[in-house]
Amino acid sequence: MDYKKISFEVKNDVVYIGFGFNDDKSMTVLDEQTLSDFKDALEKVAAQQKDYQGLILFSHKSGCFLAGADINLISSMTSEDDGRKGAAAGQDIYNILEDLKIPTVACVHGVCLGGGTEMILACNTVIASSDSKTIMGLPEVKLGLIPGFGGTYRMPRKVGLPNALDLILSGKTLNGKRAKKYGLVAEVYAKETLITMAVNHLGKREKAKSFKESFGEMAQDNFVARKIIFQKARESVLKLTKGFYQAPLKILDVMEKGQSKSRSSYLSTEAAAFGELCVSEQSKNLQHIFFMMEEVKKYKGPKGNNPVIDIKRGACLGAGTMGGGIAWLMANHSMRPIMKDLNFDALELGLKQSAENFKAMLKRKKIDKDDFNKKQRSITAQLDYRGFDRTDLVIEAVVENMDIKKSVFKELEKEVGAECILTSNTSSLSVAQMASVLETPERFAGLHFFNPVNKMPLVEIITHDNIDPSTVEALYNWVLKVKKTPVVVKDGPGFLVNRILMPYLNEAAFLLTEGVSIKDIDDACLNFGMPMGPCRLMDEVGIDVAVKVAKIMHEGLGARAKSNDLSEKLETAGLLGKKNSKGFYLYDEKGKHSGVNPEMDSFLPANKIKMDEVDIQLRVFLPMINESAMILDEGIVSKALDVDLGLIFGIGFPPFRGGLLKYADSEGLDNIVHKMKKFADDVDSDRYQLAPLLSKLVDEKRKFYEL
Amino acid sequence: MTNLRDVYLVEGKRTPQVKAGLDLKDVDAPYLGIYLLRHLLDNTSIPNDAVDEVIIGNTGTPAKYPNIGRVIALEAGLDKKTSGYTVHRNCASGMEAMSQAYLKIAAGRGEIMVAGGVESMSQMPLIYGQDMTDLFAALMKAKSSKDKLAAIAKFRPQFLTPVIAIVQGLTDPFCKMNMGNTAELLARDFNVSREMQDELANQSHQRAIAAMKEGRFAEEIVPILAGKNLDKLIKHDIGPRENSTIEGLAKMKPYFDRKSGTVTIGNSCPITDGGSCWLMASEEAVKKYNLKPMARMVDYHFHGLEPERMGAGPAGAMDGLFQRTGLGLEDMDLVEVNEAFAAQIWTVKKAFTDKKTADFFDLSRVWGELDDSKLNVNGSGIALGHPVGSTGSRIVVTLAHELKRRKAKYGIASLCVGGGQGGAVIIENLMR
Repeated sequence: MDYKKISFEVKNDVVYIGFGFNDDKSMTVLDEQTLSDFKDALEKVAAQQKDYQGLILFSHKSGCFLAGADINLISSMTSEDDGRKGAAAGQDIYNILEDLKIPTVACVHGVCLGGGTEMILACNTVIASSDSKTIMGLPEVKLGLIPGFGGTYRMPRKVGLPNALDLILSGKTLNGKRAKKYGLVAEVYAKETLITMAVNHLGKREKAKSFKESFGEMAQDNFVARKIIFQKARESVLKLTKGFYQAPLKILDVMEKGQSKSRSSYLSTEAAAFGELCVSEQSKNLQHIFFMMEEVKKYKGPKGNNPVIDIKRGACLGAGTMGGGIAWLMANHSMRPIMKDLNFDALELGLKQSAENFKAMLKRKKIDKDDFNKKQRSITAQLDYRGFDRTDLVIEAVVENMDIKKSVFKELEKEVGAECILTSNTSSLSVAQMASVLETPERFAGLHFFNPVNKMPLVEIITHDNIDPSTVEALYNWVLKVKKTPVVVKDGPGFLVNRILMPYLNEAAFLLTEGVSIKDIDDACLNFGMPMGPCRLMDEVGIDVAVKVAKIMHEGLGARAKSNDLSEKLETAGLLGKKNSKGFYLYDEKGKHSGVNPEMDSFLPANKIKMDEVDIQLRVFLPMINESAMILDEGIVSKALDVDLGLIFGIGFPPFRGGLLKYADSEGLDNIVHKMKKFADDVDSDRYQLAPLLSKLVDEKRKFYEL
Repeated sequence: MTNLRDVYLVEGKRTPQVKAGLDLKDVDAPYLGIYLLRHLLDNTSIPNDAVDEVIIGNTGTPAKYPNIGRVIALEAGLDKKTSGYTVHRNCASGMEAMSQAYLKIAAGRGEIMVAGGVESMSQMPLIYGQDMTDLFAALMKAKSSKDKLAAIAKFRPQFLTPVIAIVQGLTDPFCKMNMGNTAELLARDFNVSREMQDELANQSHQRAIAAMKEGRFAEEIVPILAGKNLDKLIKHDIGPRENSTIEGLAKMKPYFDRKSGTVTIGNSCPITDGGSCWLMASEEAVKKYNLKPMARMVDYHFHGLEPERMGAGPAGAMDGLFQRTGLGLEDMDLVEVNEAFAAQIWTVKKAFTDKKTADFFDLSRVWGELDDSKLNVNGSGIALGHPVGSTGSRIVVTLAHELKRRKAKYGIASLCVGGGQGGAVIIENLMR
């Protein structure tokens, strides 16, 4: 028989089925063709089992075993029934595999996720390569899904219930060595010998369980223990997701209720759950984010005339919190950065920031002590420009003062090589103005990291009129290389994220002076899914900083960006937020907040009003949507996708909503325009001044994502 | 070998030197050199793959880093094809590294070399003695439980008494004398009084402190990252004592010969952590990369003598080097002779002025007074410490920087070497 996407071979009475065959993509997915080929092959083997000694599964690719089900296939499903049938069809194939009477061994080298991991679970034995590319896991939950090919049925049987819940609910992945510890993998080999060694595992019984393992199993294997395990898992899911996400709860339901069910009845509930989830709004939104992220993995902007440089060594000017964070990022990616500041005290601040980030990695066992030593010591902290002419990228992170920045760049330009890209990590100043003092503005850009650098995934690449697209492309590639998410933004007040954040903070202050309580405002936003309410966020940012930025926004954007004088009053009274332990909330020495600051009473009206949660949400989110429309209209960013990625990765806009504009699209733009008009009449005609693009879209019956 | 090429010392730097057990105690030996090399290279346009070799002196050889030279080359970001090795000539290891680099460049076998030394004396280990090691070996060999029991039964508690590597390392295996006792011998042989020793030690501290206060070391020291969290920069030597007095030194008890000796901890060098590093180049490389070398390395010489009088080593080494180069003490604007012990410095001084002493050490002639205005002008080992593997190149770093400051021409750096040797290097300052 001929197969299109798998290889089928019999050697010494052993059947070898290879994936990633006739496929030039770097990742092999379980598309329809592969699944049907595999099914045919398994049926053939099943029919002639007596002739074979065993079955070995492997991949022809060096970086991928099976990357899981084809997400395009999942996202094309339109009904629950579609999804259920799709899952059931896959389950049937894996059942054939599991039911074979000959020994089966899977040789995992490279990425083996989702449907790939579910497949190896149906084999007698799994062996894996020690290569760092090898990862196994069930990440379906991250897409709002349940593993639908029997993963939730087989995983607990392979690795025990607590491990299985941990893997399935978190979606985390294991390398070969860790997978062996979990019991998913029988042995780990060098990738070159994997397939040869597989033969030795045919018919080999898995090692007898140790006393500790048997004891552990006994302890889990009773009704009460299982009940407690599920209860704990549910509690921790609710705590982590604040109850916003359906998939983990659904997974828990299926797994708990299915405990005593037969394979076939268990699998049909799993398939049904898959069908239900895969067409849910939430899963569609999470899939949308997955596709957006795939979309940004490659630079698609305009090409320049100059070669795109490969950024190898970097330097950071200014060693504050941001400078230290940036030096950490460079050091962590083996760039041997130089960090320059004006005095040793400043340098030590930066070194402290970087060391803290590395220590956090050490604590989470992402690196060991030797790595910490090596990486932290790879930062050269110095007072002069020694070595700057050997770098490919300099990121400036000195104080936010245009005159200082201008003189720094004039000086810097003389110290670096002709190819070196110069960037500013400004969060609020005009990049075009800075570019104006340079002799070679074409290699200059803004590179806006968010605080704290080690946690915030977004980086805004800020362009200006005189930039060479090659500069943008080089920066884009570099941002991806250091595992951050780039978004290309044209220069303008607040760039992308801070500009959209402006109404979030401004409106909160207006609501406060109208008599809505701090708690009600923050709770309304938290219940929408935001990681932090606007009052808490202002405390984090620093109320003095917020005042400064608000002024810049107002100057740059006009009347709709005006703010009230609340924050200014707070700043004058010395309430600066977390940095001095008192703002809207009080904070202890460790920076933990301990309730609303009673001092706030004197700044807010005594007569409180009770506003509907939904109304509070509309008050803050509508002007954000409106501002996004302005941004798209001005061409600050080119696509709705940029806005949504920016807000998800820049301020933690709730992923399950798919992004701000995705949310706007799903609510209906006509609804949004209608409410904007109402607020313009009832609240403020400037702040709710409708963006022309919004009314245009409504007129044309189009959505943001159809732009 | 008549056609040796000129060899240039492009730039040399050192770590702050810190008494063992203090701020640098957790810095592994290679990290005392890695950042120095990166720092030196950063001041040039030499590509990462253009350095021929990295040669590093080290005596403690940490078990974790058997070849420190190669580790330093790679961690500093040099290309993988850069060869690297580690050399050991006791106290002169750093000087040996420079000498090998010198020869290779001079002979045309290298264009750009890195040479220096590192020593973490804080991290020198305690080792199990031979008895315990044998017991472990027997235990490993034992197959049956009976054999194992038999092996364990041989255990005696005194097996656990550790061998202190640093003590063993500072004891001469040939004459079985501790280094301090060799200094006692010199003091007795050549009538070096306790007062003379304490006076010299005190002067060392005063000179080092003055140099620190006037910022004279700032040019040669590159601040190093240290501290439990690796977020502190150590910028100055920790060892020189501002409050040192002759009276205070006089109160200290002799350490090596407790009854009748004159050598104390106060008039000896302290064990210390530190590193030093030179970027060296041929004339072709200097031109090619438009380098501005600090100095030219004129030549070097090593010389042996009786191990029990190793402290006089510099006398013979300098004598040999003067003879080879045709230069004399009068040509030298500055002299660095590392202070291992004050008694040993006095002996070298005497060998240069007193015919009988010069003859005793078989010198070719009496070279003249080692004048205080030229000798160890910024203090030396007694105040600054003696990180064994590094000192040989460290004193050349200090010498070159002081020559540059004074716009002077020639300088000689020399030191005594445990085991009965001396080493010396003459450089010509090019920053005049």
